[in-house]
Amino acid sequence: MRRPAILPALLLLVPGAFAAEPTKPAKPPALESSCVTCHKDLDGELQQPAVMAAEDIHFLKGLGCNDCHGGNPQAGADGDLDAAHDPKKGWSGRPHRKDIPVFCAKCHADAAFMKRFDPKARVDQLQEYRTSVHGKKNAAGDERVAVCVDCHGVHGIRAVKDPRAKVYPANVADTCARCHNDAALMGHYFIEIGQVDAYKKSVHARALYDKGDMSAPTCNDCHGSHGAVPPGVESIAGVCGTCHTREATLFRDTEAKKGIDLSACIQCVMCHSNHAVLPPTDDMLGVGDKSTCTACHAAGEPGYQAAKEMGEDVVRLTGTLREATELLDRAEQAGMAVGPDRFALKKAGDQLVESKVLAHGFDLGRFKEASTEGIKAAEAGLTAGHRAFAELRFRRKGLALSLIVIAAVIAGLAFKVRQIERGGGR
Amino acid sequence: MNWPKPGRIRDWIEERLELSALEEMGRHKRVPVHRHSIWYYMGGMTLFLFGLQVATGILLLLYYRPSAGEAFESVQFIMTQVPFGWLIRSIHSWSANLLVFVLFVHMFSVFFMKAYRRPREITWFSGVALLALTMAFGFSGYLLPWNTLAFFATQVGTEVAGAVPVVGHFMLKLLRGGEHVTGGTLTRFYGFHVAVLPATATLLLGLHLLLVQKHGMSVPPAIESEAKREGREARTMPFLPNFLLRDLIGWCVAIGILAALAAILPWELGTKADPFAPAPAGIRPEWYFCWMFQTLKLLPGHVLGIEGELIGIFGIGLAGLVWLLVPFLDPGTPGTGGRSRLFSAFGVLAILYMAIMTVWVYVAPGG
Repeated sequence: MRRPAILPALLLLVPGAFAAEPTKPAKPPALESSCVTCHKDLDGELQQPAVMAAEDIHFLKGLGCNDCHGGNPQAGADGDLDAAHDPKKGWSGRPHRKDIPVFCAKCHADAAFMKRFDPKARVDQLQEYRTSVHGKKNAAGDERVAVCVDCHGVHGIRAVKDPRAKVYPANVADTCARCHNDAALMGHYFIEIGQVDAYKKSVHARALYDKGDMSAPTCNDCHGSHGAVPPGVESIAGVCGTCHTREATLFRDTEAKKGIDLSACIQCVMCHSNHAVLPPTDDMLGVGDKSTCTACHAAGEPGYQAAKEMGEDVVRLTGTLREATELLDRAEQAGMAVGPDRFALKKAGDQLVESKVLAHGFDLGRFKEASTEGIKAAEAGLTAGHRAFAELRFRRKGLALSLIVIAAVIAGLAFKVRQIERGGGR
Repeated sequence: MNWPKPGRIRDWIEERLELSALEEMGRHKRVPVHRHSIWYYMGGMTLFLFGLQVATGILLLLYYRPSAGEAFESVQFIMTQVPFGWLIRSIHSWSANLLVFVLFVHMFSVFFMKAYRRPREITWFSGVALLALTMAFGFSGYLLPWNTLAFFATQVGTEVAGAVPVVGHFMLKLLRGGEHVTGGTLTRFYGFHVAVLPATATLLLGLHLLLVQKHGMSVPPAIESEAKREGREARTMPFLPNFLLRDLIGWCVAIGILAALAAILPWELGTKADPFAPAPAGIRPEWYFCWMFQTLKLLPGHVLGIEGELIGIFGIGLAGLVWLLVPFLDPGTPGTGGRSRLFSAFGVLAILYMAIMTVWVYVAPGG
C-alpha cells in the first residue's frame, strides 16, 4: 500500500506539533523537485504553491508536493507535464473544496504516521470537525463553510505556535473574523456579525493583546477548534468553568444543595455578557443602578436582600482596604517599617477576591464568612496605619525633646570651656 | 555592717591599679593650638563613633539571627516590635556611614598636615589598616539584613575579589563559603563582622592610640617653621579638661545629627533576598566603595589583551600600596619644599577622583 500522499495541510492541525522547529534548517530536498521548479515559472495562483513552499511546515519536515497531490516529482523538468502529473503515480491534482477535511485527514488521522513527527500528536481533528457546525454542513454538501485551509492556509502553512500562523492565539480572532465579520456570508446562515469586535473590547482580549498572555481565551477556547460550536444554554457555565473553575463549582454546588436547575434561570452571560466580557466591577453586585442582580430580583424578595447585603459588604471591604493601603503607603514613605502590617493586609485583598467568587454560589452565609473576615483584616490594616502615624509623631516629639537636651548639654559644655579658658587654662 | 568610706575605696583601688599614673599622664598631656587644630578632633570623633558602633551592635546582637531563613525577619522584628529597636538599628547604620566619612576626613587631614612624618610612620600604617578594617566592617555588615540589594551587591563585590589573579578563586570561596552567595556566606560575614574584625580592630586601635599617646599630636611643618621664625614656642592647651570638653561638644553634635537621621530617615530594610530572583536594576555598593566600583565599570573589557577588570584591580591595589607607603614616599623637606607641595597635590587629586567617581555612580542613569 502506498504511503498516504496527503500530509500537508494536516500537520499544522496539531497544536505545537513542530514547536521546536529549528530556526533555519537546511533547504528541504522537496524544494528541488520538478513540481517546484516548474510551478515557480508559472504565473498567478499556480505559482503560489511553489513560492510559499519554502516556509511551509510540511516542506520543512521533508514532505513534498507529491505527498499530498501525488504525481512524479522527478519527472516533468523536461516539459513533459503528463509524466509529472501521472495518475498512475497517484496524481490527484487540486482536491475539491468539500473533500479537503478528508484529504488532510489521510495523514492527520493516521496515528502511526503522525507519531513520526510528534509522539503526542492529536489525530482526532476530523472526528472533532464532524461534530462542529462547519463539519456538519460540510458533510451535507455546503461548500461555503470553513474547511481546514480556511483557518490554516493552503500552502505556506505554519505550526500553531509560530506567531505568524493564522491559528496562533493572537491571530485566531482575526482568522475567525474573516468569515464571521462577513455580513453577506453570515447572512446565509442568519448569524449576526460583530462578535470579534465585541471580543476585542473584552477583559480576555485585553489580557491576550495588551498583556501578551497567550493563555487568555480567544474564540477557539470557548467554542472549540476543530469541533467549533456555539455553546448551548446548558453548557455555558461549563464552558466558562473550564477556566473559572471555582465559580462553576459554586454554581453547581448551589444547584445540588437547593435541588434546583439554576441553569434554567441564570447563566454567566446574563451578568457578564458573552463576547464582550468586560472587567467585573463592584457595583455589579448590590441593588444600585448598575446592579445585575436587580434584573431578576425585585425589592422585597430574599434574593434582593441578599444582593443588597453582598453589595454593601463589597463596597465596605473595598473602601477600607483602599484606605488602609493608602495609609500604610504614606507611613512607609515617612520612613516607618510597615512590612508585616502590609503582609497582614494581603488577607483583606484575598478575602475580597474570595467574596466576589463566593457571590457565584448565591449563598449569603458563605459570602458573609469571607467578607466579614476581609473587613476585619482591612480594619486591622487601618488600625496599623494609624498606629504607625502615632509612632511617627512620638518619634518626632522625642527627637525635638532630645535635641533640646543635647543643645542644653552643648551650651553647658561650651560655657564650661569658656570658663576654664578664661581662668587661664591655656 | 560598717560600709567603707569613699576615700578608703579610692585608696583600695589605687593600691592595686595605680590609676593616679594615668591621671597624671592626662594632666600633662597637651594639644597644640594653631589654625589647623580643628582637624585634631577628627580622631576623637572617629573613636566616639567606633564606640557607638560597638554599643549599638551589641544591642542588635540580642535579637539578630544570622541565618538566611531568619536574618531578614529578625531585623524586621527589631525595626517593628523591639522597643526603640528602630532607633538602635538606624543609629548603627547611619553611624557606620558617618564613621567611614569621618575616618576619610581624619586620614586626609593627617595626610595634608604631614602628621605621618618620622617618628609617626607606624601610626600612619595602623591608621590605614584601621580604615581598611572599617570598610570591611561596612562590607560584611551590609549583607547581614539579608535584603535584595545587599545580596546582589555582595555577589558583585565578592566577584571582584574572585577576579584577583592566582588567589582570586580562593578568596572568593573564603568570602562566600562556597561558589555562591548563600546562607553560608551570611553566617560567615556575621562571624567576620562580630568577632574577627572587632578583635583585630581593637588590637590595632590599641596600638594606634598608644602611638598617638607616645608621640603626641603632630604639628604641621608650616606651623612649626612659623613658630621657629618668630622665635616663640608653639601654643598648646591641656588635654584634660579643655580638649576633652571640646571633644564632648563635637560628640554631642554627632549624637544630635544621628538622632535626627534615625527619627526622620530610619534606615530602610527593603525586601528579603531571593537568590533565585533576577538582579534588580541599579545595583551598587555602599557609597564608600563606589569610586572603585565606577573605576572597574569604566574600564573596557580588554586593554592590550589584558582583562580590563584585572587592570582595575591591580591599579586600585597599587594605589592602596602607594597610600600605605606615603611616609616613605613623601620627598619633601618638612615645611617649605616645593616637591612636598606637589606631593600634597596628589592628595587633592585623589580626593577629586574619588568624589567625581562616587557622584558619577549616583547621577548615572539607573545609578
